[in-house]
Amino acid sequence: MLARVFEEHGIATTTIAMVREHAEKVKPPRALFVPFFFGFALGKPDDAEYQSRVIEAALDLLQAPQGPVLTDFPDDDAAVPSGMPQASQVTVEPPPTERSAADEVTALRAFYERWVENHAGRTAVGLCAIPQRRFRGVVRFLEACAHGDAEADMTERPASVSRPQFIRYCADDLKAFYYEARMEQNPEADEDALHRWFWGNTAGGKLIAAVAAALNNTEDPNLRAIAYGLAR
Amino acid sequence: MPRLETLSEVQRRTLEFFPCIEHDATPWVTPVKPLSQSKVALITSAGLHLRDDKPFNRDDPGGEFTYRVIPSDCNPADVIQSHFSIGFDHTGIYRDLNVTFPIDRLRELAERGAVGSLAENYYSFMGALRDPRRMIEETGPEVARRLQDEGVDVALLTPT
Repeated sequence: MLARVFEEHGIATTTIAMVREHAEKVKPPRALFVPFFFGFALGKPDDAEYQSRVIEAALDLLQAPQGPVLTDFPDDDAAVPSGMPQASQVTVEPPPTERSAADEVTALRAFYERWVENHAGRTAVGLCAIPQRRFRGVVRFLEACAHGDAEADMTERPASVSRPQFIRYCADDLKAFYYEARMEQNPEADEDALHRWFWGNTAGGKLIAAVAAALNNTEDPNLRAIAYGLAR
Repeated sequence: MPRLETLSEVQRRTLEFFPCIEHDATPWVTPVKPLSQSKVALITSAGLHLRDDKPFNRDDPGGEFTYRVIPSDCNPADVIQSHFSIGFDHTGIYRDLNVTFPIDRLRELAERGAVGSLAENYYSFMGALRDPRRMIEETGPEVARRLQDEGVDVALLTPT
């Protein structure tokens, strides 16, 4: 839809489209349909050559004499995830000992820090603006939320961010921390294995699912909306 | 996306009934310059922003229609995502920002002369809006005017 707006202002556009049926209705001027799962618009992470092929296919559409143009990227070599297990689809394995999420955060820290170091400082952690070295505090906050404590809060929450939204930022940061640490700890783990590990084998995954369940038990539509975005 | 028939029933139905605004005609600009002489901007609906910028915030009235400026020469480590949807797999962007926002790939295209130059600024919106009217009528045109002012010829749009 943005492509149409830009084109109306004289800027030629080319769009990567993930839902062919939507592109057919919206009719952006030039769209390259890619057969990848949501979150993988350019196909393969850490594969510059493959990503460049997707971009070049999208840019090639600029040579079309007229439009709209909707072309399929050939999915002969996709090898990207075709779906994603949601929390509710994963069998939860209790940790061998009664390990807490706070203990896991401490245990995973070295892997997380190595991940960041090996990726030129890139990390998805950063929405709640609390440094990861203080994530034990984030865990305590989320545990209070999971126990239904409607007053639980953190002094770090900016006044402009509501408590429900802050819960979401904390949960997203904690998830990103776990996943990045795990990708360092087990580089061969594919997407499916990562999701099954997080939701099925970690106290952190259980904690976020419990927060979602607690928020879902309230009457507050804002909390229920946040719950939907945490785990389902 | 995997083709609709490969998705779960819930996700397939959500997408089939997603309230797209339908059009019969399409605006069209024929590029006047070859790509190797064009100035290219990257626009995303992936809910990205600089680390010290304001995350997209669901409870900010109208906040989902806003956009964020991401300078094209920024450090990619400073770009993070606050997209609301849980319907996409975050592991892709955890592994590599470029799978959603190909900031390094565009630099490579510019370095080897395949594109003329890169715009000073890239722009990021929140996607998956069920009612995108304010984006179409307000913030989209605002960004279009900024792109015009910055002399951009071509915009590449990426979703998440």
